[in-house]
Amino acid sequence: MKKRGRGIACMWYPIGFTVSANPSAATVKVNEDGTATVLTGTVETGQGSLTVLAQIAAEALGIATDDVHVVSADTDTTPMDTGAIASRTTYVTGNAIFLAAEAARNILFETAAPMLGVKVSQLEAKDRKIQVKNYPQRNVSIAEVAHRSQVVLGQPAIGSASWNPPTVAMDPETGQGKPFATYVYATQIAEVDVDDETGEVEILRIAAAHDCGTAINPMLVEGQVEGGISMGVGMALQEEMLFDAKGRHINPNLTNYIMPTSLDMPEITVDIVQGFDPTGPFGAKGVGEPTAVPTAAAILNAIHDAVGVRVHSLPATAEKVLAAIKVKRAAEQKQIPASAS
Amino acid sequence: MDDKTKILEREQLDIEEPLRGADVELRLPMVTPREPFPIEPLTVDARQQTRAVGQRATRPDGRLHGLGQTKYIDDLKFPGMLYARIKRAGIASARIKRIDTSAAEAMPGVMAVLTGKEIPVNSFGPSFQDQPVLVDEQVFHAGDGVAAVAAVTEQIANEALDKIVVEYEPLPAVLDPVAAMREDSPKVHAPNSNIYATKVIRKGDVEKGFAESDHIFEGRFATQMIEHVSLEPHAAIADWDANGRLTIYATIGRITLARSDIARTLKMPMSRIRIVGTIVGGNFGGKNEITQEPALALLSKKTGRPVKGLFTRSEEFTSTTTRHPIIMDYKTGVSKSGRIIARQIRLVLDGGAYCSWSETTLGKACILSPGPYKIDNVLAEAFVVYTNKTMTGAMRGFGAPQVCFAYESQMDDIAKALKIDPLEIRLLNAFDEGSPSPTGQVLHSVVVKETLNKAADRFGWEPRS
Amino acid sequence: MTDVTVVVNGQLRGATVPPETTLLQLLREHFHLTGAKLGCDVGDCGACTVIVDGMAVNSCLMLAGQVDGRSVTTIEGLASREQLHPIQKAFEESGALQCGFCGPGAIMATKALLDENPEPAIKDIRDALSGSLCRCTGYTKMIEAVQEAARVLRSESPKQLTHAQP
Repeated sequence: MKKRGRGIACMWYPIGFTVSANPSAATVKVNEDGTATVLTGTVETGQGSLTVLAQIAAEALGIATDDVHVVSADTDTTPMDTGAIASRTTYVTGNAIFLAAEAARNILFETAAPMLGVKVSQLEAKDRKIQVKNYPQRNVSIAEVAHRSQVVLGQPAIGSASWNPPTVAMDPETGQGKPFATYVYATQIAEVDVDDETGEVEILRIAAAHDCGTAINPMLVEGQVEGGISMGVGMALQEEMLFDAKGRHINPNLTNYIMPTSLDMPEITVDIVQGFDPTGPFGAKGVGEPTAVPTAAAILNAIHDAVGVRVHSLPATAEKVLAAIKVKRAAEQKQIPASAS
Repeated sequence: MDDKTKILEREQLDIEEPLRGADVELRLPMVTPREPFPIEPLTVDARQQTRAVGQRATRPDGRLHGLGQTKYIDDLKFPGMLYARIKRAGIASARIKRIDTSAAEAMPGVMAVLTGKEIPVNSFGPSFQDQPVLVDEQVFHAGDGVAAVAAVTEQIANEALDKIVVEYEPLPAVLDPVAAMREDSPKVHAPNSNIYATKVIRKGDVEKGFAESDHIFEGRFATQMIEHVSLEPHAAIADWDANGRLTIYATIGRITLARSDIARTLKMPMSRIRIVGTIVGGNFGGKNEITQEPALALLSKKTGRPVKGLFTRSEEFTSTTTRHPIIMDYKTGVSKSGRIIARQIRLVLDGGAYCSWSETTLGKACILSPGPYKIDNVLAEAFVVYTNKTMTGAMRGFGAPQVCFAYESQMDDIAKALKIDPLEIRLLNAFDEGSPSPTGQVLHSVVVKETLNKAADRFGWEPRS
Repeated sequence: MTDVTVVVNGQLRGATVPPETTLLQLLREHFHLTGAKLGCDVGDCGACTVIVDGMAVNSCLMLAGQVDGRSVTTIEGLASREQLHPIQKAFEESGALQCGFCGPGAIMATKALLDENPEPAIKDIRDALSGSLCRCTGYTKMIEAVQEAARVLRSESPKQLTHAQP
């Protein structure tokens, strides 16, 4: 018989390395026609970092995402980067790119200020123009300023910067300190059906609400949540590397290492909760890893709600769930008083 | 002098002369045809907006992925390129008595063989440099690399592995982290203790907190070893130029660190090393350090040719990092209204054969283990322990999914026992803006409760009467 | 050595290869079509999926000799000089491609599905994609992309499609 259950899990997760320095450096070059090239030492590993970093640079320069080309992943030509790890790219590399873009933009402002007859502090970059704050009709195109800057004045608009999250070392006895500059928060709620005769768990739907600071690209955030949930599903119910008594691998292949396919995924709804963080680029934090954190807990709590058993070790395979159900039934049977004489 | 004048006097070729019509079949070189594709810029509206933040911008790399044009490392080919394979130990703990590569070296098509002795500095690791590139005297886990070969085809390289003879003297292996913590356990990296790192977080006074609690809950939770299973296996190509400059194309997500590790293992200045990444086909933490690259570089140097190494799917499981299994003991004291007053946690992380990213994982797991809750009294102790199994390293979450499973499971146990709605008990205890974390940090941009309420709202969570 | 004569993406191609060469190796190494990927080499992951005579197959499990006289379509054969194939466009715009490694295989599995079933239910889509493992996307946006591609293909008459694939 199928029993339905629901389970909540909430979590917190830090951005960046634990205390230790994890800087990122970047260079932003504004071309003579007002488009831009960004150099970053990070590597695109599928999460869409290059697109997000282009959006950050574009926003800082007042141009469109499509105007920005990102060059990455070459130690000869791109500046150092601690890497795509610890969900730090949007926050740390993003901040470095934001600062580099600001530096390039300031060179443009220095060129534009006399063109518009104002001081540098009165200028802003918006809609591919450099314009006077509160007087947008007083503007000159970024293309014109960039060209003049480089070709006429001999001041190419290039900016470089690096950034490292500020932390405070942890006390060795008590662990007190500030290990991370910022954290993200999330909740996932799962609804499952558990077959109490086979122990099989079917995940029907998961509602995920994730904080990522400002969502620079909501489509990519959704992609991360959905992908993270698939890893959480695998962790909760299927995946396990097995060793024999001699320490040799039993299932080093995809036939016997079970992981989620399209048939195992539930319906997922994603809500982005925007917890603006002033220390991040345009308020952004990060989202890559947190998405895989609460899923297994939510699913296991849902199993607990459905059939009243607490599985204490992952993965909660059908065998384990069924064994737990049987133990519970046996315990309940013992408690039923013998029929009255 | 005279010859040169004669050359100038010779009639120049008439380059307008048409190709002779008599040759019906022009012997043109075979030019590989190219499948057609549209050459158009990304025209999606979201990419044209000048308020770029917040746009659902499509990805330029997505365009190439859809066309099958993205070049991953295994799609790259260089003239004269050789294929490398690594022989895996297949035994969890042993002393190596002898490695005989002569039969492999003699095979036609095998251009070079490499063993651990030839590596200038045969150790690396992001925090402890306890991992050899190729094991030399001792094997620490079944996936250890014992020798590497470079051959003209992958098939020959595979056959050559079988011809390498290794004599092992098996040593006792320890596979369970709790057993490995005991003094009398076999030592993985003798004479050091198997407990290679610890972390403590202490806030308030847990004993006092338990004494003040109305209810105490205890539980042990355990998680399993998991593999990243990126669809793209680890791959790298190493090549040298005539100036002694090494270029490595690799599926590594941290090229700055990779360059410094290659410089260290090969004893070279960094200015002579270039690491190039293309697009990595999935990382999740498994491609954050070097694996075979120093071996490939040395094979390339020995043969004078580019050398490509591609892990098999089996090697992805046996010889790359995995997620730490953790055994978690939680003891939580609560008031009768469900407020958490004290929480004591003990974490034992299975640290595999090498440290890799274990220190980072230990730190994060320990810090996050009390959960996103306001708790005045916390004691969290965490240990990471060597075992003779695949090295455990960075994997999406660094210990967070494991501890979340523990603290959220216990939260529901508490909610059920006290007959409090699971959503309510979390809202009662969760961080607020400005709450102190277990390490005494004042938290900002805190939105736990917002995520709880939002998810509950979307899910349709109604408290049960 | 085995002689193989095969139509690949509408073009007649030939090669002489060792008999144990797989179709995947033939495509990647001899025809330089690197869209199909090597993920596991034993037919578990689907990254090598191509279409042979209308059927989606794991090319790592077929021998090159087995496609002699047959027609093979790979990811490189879907687009034309004028436009992307609707499946490629839908995958890109839905954000269904992250690292992209499983992409060609998943797109070819989708093509085989839609060629046979132009109006698939979600269950049919999940079944068709079940042989394509993906670690990045969780499949959610892929399913949306397949639905969108199916919708576009149903609304376009055959004459409007100018892609190379016959």
